[in-house]
Amino acid sequence: MELKCVVVTPEKTVLDQAAESITLPLYDGEYGIEWNHTPLIGRLGAGLLRLRKGDRVDAYYVSGGFVEVLANTVSLMTARAIPAAEITLAKADAAMVEAKAKPGKSVQEMEIRDQAMREARAMLRIANRKHSS
Amino acid sequence: MAKTKTLNKRRKSIRSIRKITRTMELISTACYRRAMDRAVNARAFTERLTRMVRNLAVSGAEVSHPLLTAHAEEKNVTLLVLSSNRGLCGGYNGSILRVAYQRWKELLSGEKVANPALVVSGKRGISYFRFRKVQPSQTYTQFEDKPTFDEVDQIAQEYLEMYLTGKLDRLEIVYTKFFSMSKQAVVHETLLPLTEIGSGDDGASQEVKGIAEYDFLPSAESILSEVVPQSFKAKLFKCFLDAAVSEQIARMVAMKAATENADSMIQTLTMAVNRSRQSQITGELTELIGGVEALK
Repeated sequence: MELKCVVVTPEKTVLDQAAESITLPLYDGEYGIEWNHTPLIGRLGAGLLRLRKGDRVDAYYVSGGFVEVLANTVSLMTARAIPAAEITLAKADAAMVEAKAKPGKSVQEMEIRDQAMREARAMLRIANRKHSS
Repeated sequence: MAKTKTLNKRRKSIRSIRKITRTMELISTACYRRAMDRAVNARAFTERLTRMVRNLAVSGAEVSHPLLTAHAEEKNVTLLVLSSNRGLCGGYNGSILRVAYQRWKELLSGEKVANPALVVSGKRGISYFRFRKVQPSQTYTQFEDKPTFDEVDQIAQEYLEMYLTGKLDRLEIVYTKFFSMSKQAVVHETLLPLTEIGSGDDGASQEVKGIAEYDFLPSAESILSEVVPQSFKAKLFKCFLDAAVSEQIARMVAMKAATENADSMIQTLTMAVNRSRQSQITGELTELIGGVEALK
């Protein structure tokens, strides 16, 4: 009763492993997937991807993208997938500073800046989560 | 006497050059393997993206996106040229730059294009255009044999922003496309506006699996609008990867030819050295015998 989870970025296949349940960040919140999920295509937001198998939980930061669920295979297409342990407060802060520095004069520019800030905020959340626990 | 010495000297220098070309051949073979692996790894992403787009299309989503529509007036056209940082790769840079320069001249003479811009990646291309007295608006030299997605992403993001805000009307690219180990060709493509999404021309499997009823979150249209920029980025990234692979292949082939040429030169020179040494010995012997005869 295991799902197959594949995470691909444009550079390489980051992850290809089995999991009992998967929690992924959709555009509007977290979404859980278990065995025999209905076929699904969804938009991802920036956030935490968690794969649970027994007591083991693997966590990754993904920066948006898409998810496709079909026949108990969950494939995630994302620009960046980084193990959550590698996200530090310093890195998240740097991303936030960079995002805030972007210009926001027109609607498009503001959208782009918001997107960058959402990603930075997700990184901050992950870094803080580690910090507190 | 003098002749043998110079011949020997030449043979020695060719030997050391051969060592260099041989080493470069081996290095570029290793680099090619690595670059090829990266290109293969990247394919997984584009294939999945293409498959998803197909599934979306089957479900009847209308594809419309600002990146897919051409601007009415094409004033700002950017020509992106991907050349290499280092030489010694045969005709690789020459053929790219020939096509690029041709296209650049067309852009300059065209009436519709009021504001063409040239962006060059690679030192070879930069010096070529400097020689032609063309000033590129932007240059990159950070792309070596392994371009990372983050680096390309930055550039792609810039172009996307420029296109969406109307500062750019068309993006063209000249690079060497990798078809197979034995075939790479210089191509000139238009990247923006996007003509097709998913870049399904890289042999992605076309079989249609049993059509599943998908749930879409939030909706097929919204997902499509998100797919389009992603697919542009993946496409640009693939161009850089292709260029890197092609460069290594070109260098491999050039260095192999150079090594073989050095081999044959060493062979002829060795023959010439031996012959001149032999004639020298013969000359000395006849002199000696002549001297002995004269003494009698």
